[in-house]
Amino acid sequence: MYKWILLLISPSFITTSFAQEKDTLSGNTAITVFTATKTERALSNIAVPVQIIAQKTIQQAGSLRLSDILAEQTGLFMTTGFGTGVSMQGLNPDYTLILIDGEPLIGRTSGVLDLKRITVGNIKQIEIVRGPSSSLYGSEAMAGVINIITDKPRKNSLGVSSRYGSFNTADFNIKGSVRTNRINYQGFGNFYRTDGFSIRPNSRERSIAPIERFTQQHNIGYRFSDRTQLSLNIRHNSELIKNNITVINNGNSINSVGVEKNQDLNATIQLTHKINERVKNTARLYGTQFNSSQELISDNGVPYLDAFKQQFARIENQTDITVNEKLELNVGGGYIHETANSTRYDDSKSIKTNRIGYAFLQSEWKASNKLTFVGGARYDHNELFAAAFSPKLALQYKINNRFSLKASIGRGFKAPDFRQLYLNFTNTAAGSYSVFGTVEAQKIINELNRLGQISSLEPSFYQLSNLQPEFSTGFNLGISFQNEQWQITTNLFRNNIENLIDSRLVAFKTGGAQIFSYLNVKNAFTQGIETDVKFRYNQYWSFSAGYQFLLTGDQSEINAINDGKVFTRDQNGFSRRLNRSEYVGLPNRSKHMANLKVQYDHQSYFANARAVYRSKWATLDTDGNGIYNSNDAFAQGFLQLNMATGKSFNNGLSIQTGIDNLLNYTDVINLPTLPGRIFYLTLSYNILNKNPK
Amino acid sequence: MNKMKQLFFVLGIAVSLVACTKEDTGGSNTVVETITVKDLPADTIIGITPGAPPTGGFPFGAGRYTFYSLETNKIIPASDSASNKWDLAFRGTTIATNSGNSGPGAGGAFVFVGLFNDLKTIPADSTFRIDNAPTAFAIPVGSNRAWYVYDGINQLLNPIPGRVLVIRTASGKYAKVEILNYYKGGVTPAATASETIKLRTQRFYTFRFSYQPNGTKTF
Repeated sequence: MYKWILLLISPSFITTSFAQEKDTLSGNTAITVFTATKTERALSNIAVPVQIIAQKTIQQAGSLRLSDILAEQTGLFMTTGFGTGVSMQGLNPDYTLILIDGEPLIGRTSGVLDLKRITVGNIKQIEIVRGPSSSLYGSEAMAGVINIITDKPRKNSLGVSSRYGSFNTADFNIKGSVRTNRINYQGFGNFYRTDGFSIRPNSRERSIAPIERFTQQHNIGYRFSDRTQLSLNIRHNSELIKNNITVINNGNSINSVGVEKNQDLNATIQLTHKINERVKNTARLYGTQFNSSQELISDNGVPYLDAFKQQFARIENQTDITVNEKLELNVGGGYIHETANSTRYDDSKSIKTNRIGYAFLQSEWKASNKLTFVGGARYDHNELFAAAFSPKLALQYKINNRFSLKASIGRGFKAPDFRQLYLNFTNTAAGSYSVFGTVEAQKIINELNRLGQISSLEPSFYQLSNLQPEFSTGFNLGISFQNEQWQITTNLFRNNIENLIDSRLVAFKTGGAQIFSYLNVKNAFTQGIETDVKFRYNQYWSFSAGYQFLLTGDQSEINAINDGKVFTRDQNGFSRRLNRSEYVGLPNRSKHMANLKVQYDHQSYFANARAVYRSKWATLDTDGNGIYNSNDAFAQGFLQLNMATGKSFNNGLSIQTGIDNLLNYTDVINLPTLPGRIFYLTLSYNILNKNPK
Repeated sequence: MNKMKQLFFVLGIAVSLVACTKEDTGGSNTVVETITVKDLPADTIIGITPGAPPTGGFPFGAGRYTFYSLETNKIIPASDSASNKWDLAFRGTTIATNSGNSGPGAGGAFVFVGLFNDLKTIPADSTFRIDNAPTAFAIPVGSNRAWYVYDGINQLLNPIPGRVLVIRTASGKYAKVEILNYYKGGVTPAATASETIKLRTQRFYTFRFSYQPNGTKTF
């Protein structure tokens, strides 16, 4: 086994390789970041923790969907359930804002934005900002922001690539661009299909259902002058999922078949104008729509229809002012109009609306050559909820040309979503429980009570009120070291989360069925340390490693344990007090996560091996005490090993092959979407790759 | 390594000796006996209604309570249901007391949050509730209300640790009960177990209790 791994990554074995653009070879050319400050900045001048994933890294990892590449990054892990979401600094997927070219993606199910909806085929770089960033981006940027920057090539180009792999998974890309003095156009198309798979034996239901996805993106830029540019960007994504769902209820299995359709449409118009050398203005108009429907019919002929439609429109203006060499100001404001309607709400025809007006200000002050301060704040005025004020302060201190210190404190928020306000859902398949959004809950329960259909109102019912936004305060303190060979960054973080919205039992119906609604009831914290080390041994070999240590919890739970009010069971099944040391904190979090990558690069070929490790995580409260502790159920820690190698030829052809999950690790219960070992082969061809005259 | 093992062995004996001594001296006179009852059936499931939810597909038992006397530590036949012979009656997750409209006795109950062994004396100001079936039992029915929490995702029922059912018996004496498990053999099936197993093994109570025959509130 060991020998075999060595063989695979040793250059003599490799007969194939992959195209490499020479200008990105070392990655040391000035990388710029947009997301951290909402302006272009050199990566080395950013005061908050930022991570960049380059196009080459994505390609060489053989990634297809956004979740594939994010899963290999330090401190991020993918969640399953309602699609594949990302957890950052130990927060749920609900609290990470996902942007494409600076504009937010919508269409979350139960708070999760399915990252598999996003192809990586046209990604130039992924920017990951850790820590609350609502001072620039508003709602959802509580844990951080992931911004996907799509390709804007500087050449006339046309390229195609195709990949085929296990489970009849196929992926085709076509990408091209035309540039003249005034007009440039980029076009991109991606088609993805898979048969899906099931790792559960004897199951008709697949943990990944057969899917077809089609994405296209077009970008047209027009240069009026050196000072004024206009761009239009349109992206459309559609997916068709063939469902075959088995619900087992009290020993009866009911099978339903049908299709699920999801569609995203995003459009942006952006006008940038340099008023003079010191003032630049950017006006953006953005519209997006998410449409989702699921139509099923069960064995016994019962049809099921679920539809959800969300629209989001935004106009924003931002002005960047260079006051002098030391001071820069960014000031902006905007207006958001957001609507949703769904069969899950009281009436699918009734459209729910929220309007938000906001303004933000950021200033960057270079106090000295070594010290830079960035301060900013944003105010969001919400029609439906209380307003949110989100300040942020960050500083960077360059101790010398090798060491640099970063510290930041910021506030993030997430506005309650439409589901938490308007959901009106009764699950007839499992105990007939109901979940009502807060706006609906009081109305409906009072009406049911009047009709004598409520047997009891729980204490939580009387606490139902207008939902408040959820808030986080994040602290980050980092140090980095850099020389010719080494690049080391380490960051300490702490997030205090207040006002967390959670579902609570509010009433019982006369038949015993439970009614749930949403309340701002919980607080939580996450804290830990993230470390990344990169080492370039020579021009061929490089290594990188990452590690995150994470602790999470709820202070009120810890207090209850310290007060002796929390119990568990001993080996006889008798109750005993829980010890503080047995407290685990939030479920689904691993205390240790690590990754290791070995990369070999030669002029026309490369090979890499990447390992990703997650320690055990709590999954279920099996001792019934309502908190997660060492007496509960855990998923086993695991190691995933991925490998890829490729070669490029002079005629524009390149070939790549890889194995994901080489160790064939699977966990039917806790990792239902991890398929075991898979193989793939990619061919790509650059038909045209010219610099315009 | 061997020495280590020996050491542990010796230590183990020492600990167990201490434990034994303690029980011998303290247990006999002042402290009432604690009895564990295993696998008490409580209207076990005999079938599933035809059809699918919401109209059918629900498991059902024979609809009968199992009557139990804490005083005699015995199951009481259903023919004696209208007597003072029983103290508790079990049917599914419902635990009735011989009080109110459940029976003619002077029973009652309340839920104490804490450890079984820590409840040495029932506080004087305690209020015993009485049954008002089917809507309000002295021991409330429902997930996270009295003694159990229902895990809807895995369809499993877990008794909440640290909940003691303080019982006034049919004859007005006092007992304390801790429910330990709801499944046959006192073992909750794994979350991954089949529905059939989860249905077939549920509604079997394992519990421990102390009954104070002298009528005082002290255990």
